[in-house]
Amino acid sequence: MDTQSHPHPRVLLAKIGLDGHDRGVKVLARSFRDAGIEVIYTGLWQTSEATMHAALQEDVDVVGVSLLSAAHLTVMPEMLRLRRELGIEDIPVVLGGIVPDSDHAALRDMGVAAVFNPGSPLDRIIEKMRELANGHPSPRLDEIRAGYAKKDPRSLSKLITLVQRGEGLIDWTPPPGRAKVIGITGAPGVGKSSFIGRLGKLLRAKNKKVAVVAIDPSSPITGGALLGDRLRMMTGSPDADFFIRSLSSGDVQGGLAPHCREVVAILNGYGFDFILVETVGAGQADIAIRTIADRTILLLMPDSGDAIQFSKAGIMEIASCFVLNKCDLAGADAAQAQILTAVGDNRPLWKVSTVRDEGIDAVADWATSA
Amino acid sequence: MRVRTSVDTPASSVNEAEGKTFVGPEDLGAFNPAKALGEPGSFPYTRGVHRTMYRDRLWTMRQFAGFGSAEDTNGRFKYLLEHGQTGLSTAFDLPTLMGRDSDDALALGEVGRCGVAISSLADMRRLFDGIDLGAVSTSMTINAPAAILLAFYVAVGQEQGVPLNRLRGTLQNDILKEFHAQNEYVFPPGPSVKLVVDTIEYCTKHLPQWNTVSISGYHIREAGATAAQELAFTLADGIAYVEASIQRGLEVDDFAPRLSFFFDVHNDFFEEIAKLRASRRIWAHVMRDRFKAKQERSLLLRMHCQTAGVTLTEQQPMNNVVRVAFQALAGVLGGTQSLHTNSMDETLALPTEEAAKLALRTQQIIAHETNVSQTVDPLGGSYFVEKLTNEIEATAYGIFDQIDAMGGVLKAIDRGYFRRAIAESSLDQQRELDRGEQKIVGVTDFVEGGPPGVPTLKITQATEDAQIAQLKALKQSRDKARHRAALERLRRDAASSANVMPALIEAAEADATVGEMMVTMKTVFGAYDGGPEW
Repeated sequence: MDTQSHPHPRVLLAKIGLDGHDRGVKVLARSFRDAGIEVIYTGLWQTSEATMHAALQEDVDVVGVSLLSAAHLTVMPEMLRLRRELGIEDIPVVLGGIVPDSDHAALRDMGVAAVFNPGSPLDRIIEKMRELANGHPSPRLDEIRAGYAKKDPRSLSKLITLVQRGEGLIDWTPPPGRAKVIGITGAPGVGKSSFIGRLGKLLRAKNKKVAVVAIDPSSPITGGALLGDRLRMMTGSPDADFFIRSLSSGDVQGGLAPHCREVVAILNGYGFDFILVETVGAGQADIAIRTIADRTILLLMPDSGDAIQFSKAGIMEIASCFVLNKCDLAGADAAQAQILTAVGDNRPLWKVSTVRDEGIDAVADWATSA
Repeated sequence: MRVRTSVDTPASSVNEAEGKTFVGPEDLGAFNPAKALGEPGSFPYTRGVHRTMYRDRLWTMRQFAGFGSAEDTNGRFKYLLEHGQTGLSTAFDLPTLMGRDSDDALALGEVGRCGVAISSLADMRRLFDGIDLGAVSTSMTINAPAAILLAFYVAVGQEQGVPLNRLRGTLQNDILKEFHAQNEYVFPPGPSVKLVVDTIEYCTKHLPQWNTVSISGYHIREAGATAAQELAFTLADGIAYVEASIQRGLEVDDFAPRLSFFFDVHNDFFEEIAKLRASRRIWAHVMRDRFKAKQERSLLLRMHCQTAGVTLTEQQPMNNVVRVAFQALAGVLGGTQSLHTNSMDETLALPTEEAAKLALRTQQIIAHETNVSQTVDPLGGSYFVEKLTNEIEATAYGIFDQIDAMGGVLKAIDRGYFRRAIAESSLDQQRELDRGEQKIVGVTDFVEGGPPGVPTLKITQATEDAQIAQLKALKQSRDKARHRAALERLRRDAASSANVMPALIEAAEADATVGEMMVTMKTVFGAYDGGPEW
């Protein structure tokens, strides 16, 4: 069997359940990035189900589970059962945490590819990740295209990987779609991912199929990346019609990712109603989004001075509308006045709070009506 | 010299490179012992909060424990009280710590595992059944839902007829370190601090003997912070609570004496002692100079210490006994008011009874055999320890300046400052290990093969099923109108920024559950997603 070997394998790191001990998983995430790996971290308090759905959508090479709650003998069988159910048995699952030696054999027998304990050297863990990723069977393009045509989510997810790596679209183009492509941009920390998570949910409630492309920066030195946007969007049970894909920017400037236009085309041809594209969040430099989005939302927050910076840089001009997030914080009214002055025309401005889940329905109405 | 003098300094710090084999008076510069140290029990309390320290009264050996159902823990409490213990220390299970009921979907497999499960006033009543709350002091390690657990405690006290001013105990109630490190937060930082101030205000008025917040560095350190970061972040959190309470309109001397602190004691022996000494000096100055506290009790930093769980190793677990002993000694030489020693098997599972007893014996040997308790601050005046103390203090003030420049602790949380700093330090330490610059006996060096040689505690699933059945029965049998009205009042009070304590007590008495009260407050306060840095 052919195997794929890519310099930047994709690894999903997950914590399952209520346990908040994340020191180990954070050290791993950063070390993996520094070793050239693309890491998708799904954050705290995830269920096994949401995690395995994420593995499918993200088309990762390995899933790493961190468990320090002594629940490994309950959680791992469930993870492996879901892996079977979703038809992604080719993705190896590894476990790290406080696991007594006496449990290792049972875990391997049930299908866990490796078990790491506190004290396992980082080098060995990274080496194992690459080994497992390299052993990953290489996809066959014709099968993937056929699966994609039949709306198989696994094929969609694999096709995106291929296209991102510059393959897959040769002598083939996806069918046209009718999706509205909305770009979401704004400075780091303004809450783009949380906002997209909420907006996506509201669009789902209107029975729209939603895809999200979330872009985070790559390390310019190692090519690795920490893709953490997804963790703020995964707030509910997994949903096949809410497809989230995290991409790294690679060496692309302007806030997008390699072959982003083609990725959007694939999602469009698959039949999504909305494609939400989250830019890197470099702020003033994120202007490439206008080349692929029908409309662009610029996210702002009180007390940041962004409105002034952005209007100087011209980014206000590319926005179709403005969303003032974090209106639960002080200074929202002043910020609103400041933005209205900077905007100077009648493009819409909404005040929202993602932590309180307030005000976002107006944006969803705008997205569906216009 | 191993103090890391700046959060920005890499782990292999400059100080290490210019390391000296000994320290002399020239290293102390313009050190003025009278000003920098004072005498034990006098300003700035570097040498200790009491003049006679352990000669008059040993530190409290406070071993934290809790397991299973309310009945299980009640049985343990009674056993401890019959054997002369007067203070109870309650560990809650993970669902309770996260403000979720035992029947919550995410609680699966966690009910009663690492502490006792408390979802309702009925559970709390069972926990303290047959125990006179007027005669014991109760410590409750809980944060996001701390106000609710306090409401339960007050309600049980009232049922027993104990006047509120006789209730004694401690709430950990330190939500800020949850955002930095431990991740047991629910609401966003602003409303979370408002809840803490609600409990401070309520206790100041009604429960004068209650220690309102145990401001904790332990979790910050365990998550990977350096000693200096642990100290600085913890005291910065303390400053934030004091500021918020003053803003509420409280007098600093009315509530400050009931704030206490909780530190980690790690491996670097002298650095840890220096950290504890520096903490007292800084706090005394901050309270006197920044907050104009007048009463001496407001200036005293009283602390609880726990040995560093993160230093325990699964390999050769008996080595942990030795590590814990040295860490405990550092806590004592640093002048702690109470101490928890970890059990050697805690990296494998919850401690067995044997292991927990050995941990307690370790403290007793330090207390009764080594004679270190006979002289207050025996390391005071050591060139090395004083230099370390000065350096940690200077680093802490530098970090305070950074935080102030960001606009305070809440703004710094918004920017992901604490999480980023801790994650970077943690990664630095891992790299030191990988490069062989730090050794761990039995792990990186002196390695032996073979299985670990200690038995571990196993916990059964039966508790969870029983607890869930009781909770379902309660939800069926309670007065539904009263329950609904109480939650509605809670929502209204939360929305109007009133102190929610009275509404929480009313809701507790109406048999509202922890999860229901949290969800009600979430509709007003919102839910936090962890901030920009994960």
